Amino acid sequence: MPFSMTTFCSGVAVVLMLSYVGLIAMVMSYAALTIEFSQSVRNDEAVVATLESQYLAAVARITSTDYVRSGYTVPVTKIFVPAKAVTALR
Amino acid sequence: MRAQFRARIRLILAVVVCIALLIIVRLYFVQIVHGDDYSEKADRQFASGGSGLFDRGSIYFTRKNGEFISAATLQTGFLVALNPQIVKDPEAAYLAIRDVASSSSSLFSREEFLAAATKKGQVYVEVAHHLSNESGQALSAQNIPGVQVLKERWRYYPGGSLSSQSIGIVSYGSSDTLAGRTGLELWYDGTLLRSGDALYKNFFAELFSNVGNLLVDAKDAREGDVVTTIEPDVQTRLANDIAKMNEKYQSEESGGIIMNPATGEIIAIASYPSYDANVLQQVDPLALGNPLVEHVHEFGSIMKPLTMAAGLDAGVVTPDTTYNDTGCITVNTRKICNWDLKPRGVIPMQQIIVQSLNVGASWVATELGQEKFRDYFIKLFGQKTNIDLPNEGRALLGNLSTTQQVNFDNMSFGQGISVTPLQMIRALGALANGGVMVQPHLVSAIRLDSGVVRQLEWNQTSAVFSAAAVRETTQMMDAVVDEKLEGGKAKIPTMSVAAKTGTAQLTKPGGGYYDDRFFHSFVGFFPSFNPRFIVLLYTNDPQGVTYASETLNSTFLDLTHFLIDYYAVPPDRPTADFVKALSQPTSP
Repeated sequence: MPFSMTTFCSGVAVVLMLSYVGLIAMVMSYAALTIEFSQSVRNDEAVVATLESQYLAAVARITSTDYVRSGYTVPVTKIFVPAKAVTALR
Repeated sequence: MRAQFRARIRLILAVVVCIALLIIVRLYFVQIVHGDDYSEKADRQFASGGSGLFDRGSIYFTRKNGEFISAATLQTGFLVALNPQIVKDPEAAYLAIRDVASSSSSLFSREEFLAAATKKGQVYVEVAHHLSNESGQALSAQNIPGVQVLKERWRYYPGGSLSSQSIGIVSYGSSDTLAGRTGLELWYDGTLLRSGDALYKNFFAELFSNVGNLLVDAKDAREGDVVTTIEPDVQTRLANDIAKMNEKYQSEESGGIIMNPATGEIIAIASYPSYDANVLQQVDPLALGNPLVEHVHEFGSIMKPLTMAAGLDAGVVTPDTTYNDTGCITVNTRKICNWDLKPRGVIPMQQIIVQSLNVGASWVATELGQEKFRDYFIKLFGQKTNIDLPNEGRALLGNLSTTQQVNFDNMSFGQGISVTPLQMIRALGALANGGVMVQPHLVSAIRLDSGVVRQLEWNQTSAVFSAAAVRETTQMMDAVVDEKLEGGKAKIPTMSVAAKTGTAQLTKPGGGYYDDRFFHSFVGFFPSFNPRFIVLLYTNDPQGVTYASETLNSTFLDLTHFLIDYYAVPPDRPTADFVKALSQPTSP
């Protein structure tokens, strides 16, 4: 089959066109995915922030609880952990 | 052949023209006919980058096991905007928004909303902020004419008032951009700030036009999250104790710092009154600063251990040195007396600390001499601590420049010299750290967006006293807890604790001191000879009490026991049972 310049140029044009369309598609997909993932991360961070807020509120509630007022009695004696305790020395 | 070729060309041309026409028609419908709808829909979904959602790095607390808890982060939700030109029934629109808004949302009052709806010259008025995702989606589904529901992101502080004066706030200020205005938000603004264009980069455009930045982005080495040394449970405990004590004695203000004396890491820093950083509308702007860093006070007798350490370090006294305590002395025609006006006779140095004797501290200052006293106190308080917080205050050391001995005597027991609580804990920290002052700091590391964690170095130290001098001073402070505090009941059998109380008279605006208004302070560290924690507390102008031992003892002891339990600090003293067990022969 003889070499045809027209066929060759047409082939190159098609390849270039496909590459161009492919690149556009890739860039668009990349941008869309980046936005989507970033948005998703931020949304998750917001959910975590809400959980952290609940955790810190629970710590504050426990810290401010007056156990005597809640019906518990003050310990009669306090025994301090002696220095010989192996666990305490760890 | 030629005719056939032309026909084919025409056919292809016709197809191309048809496709072009179809695209043009489609564009007409998309952009002209349904343009507004798509625009509104896009705004709701916020897929475009034009209006730039707020972005900023996080600030973290660090739990004792190394886990991070957000101190400042971002919250995502919706804002509601009104288009007065389109809205048909403002009353119904207001009710619909009010019904979905939660207590944490900020919403126009009914009057403000209706007034905004009458502004027909405007097309965009924001009437509600901080709606939750559920609320925003519920409102959006109602498709109320003239009501736009747009994605919004804002700064959120999960701890509310927890350490708010140190974490700081973000606001618009005088410029048109949201930026850190106080606290760590301001100090680390360059790290936390986000340029906001990262999402909308065209990778290929960058590849061809800006290869260098794509490979090595300068922002990656700058932008990140801030990791603090603040432990949230300890911070909560300190803030809670300070608030309870302040309320009990109706003080003007109170505060406290817990620091690692060996490294300068601040584990907790709290003052009262404070504010909720999520609700700034009612906050007095003057309360936004950090009084522990910015305000100076005369601390009273917690200065005595520093005077004693200076005397011991200079070699002018030893622990066995005695002096004759007469109860009161006259210096430069001014009278200086012990707190109870009583003489003690000939007593050793330790009693100056244990009984908190002003006459004794003055005696040590006199023995030290003005020049040496000046040198030590300039080393201790002459420079700022260089903590990573803005607007640090400077000590008032004017009396060090005088030559009247009475001024030096007063400074020896903490009157006539004003320093910030932070400077005070740094100076007293030298007693707990072999005589070396460290650099207090709140941030341990920057977690860069690239994933790299950059540890910060805080190695600005200053040796003030010898190790022997601080050990002898610590022994004296140890006796305060074992013998004096709560009548000796505060002694912990398994743990040595060094402490000192301070009661200073408050200064009058026109000069001189009040006889009935006081500033109470308390410092303590433990285990005494290898401390893990140093605690500084103060309360300003408490009502109905005179001495710091009345106001701050219980707060200090509560914090001490909490820290020992929470960190499982190993005992440093053998109990009587243990000594007995050691003395008994062991069975084979």
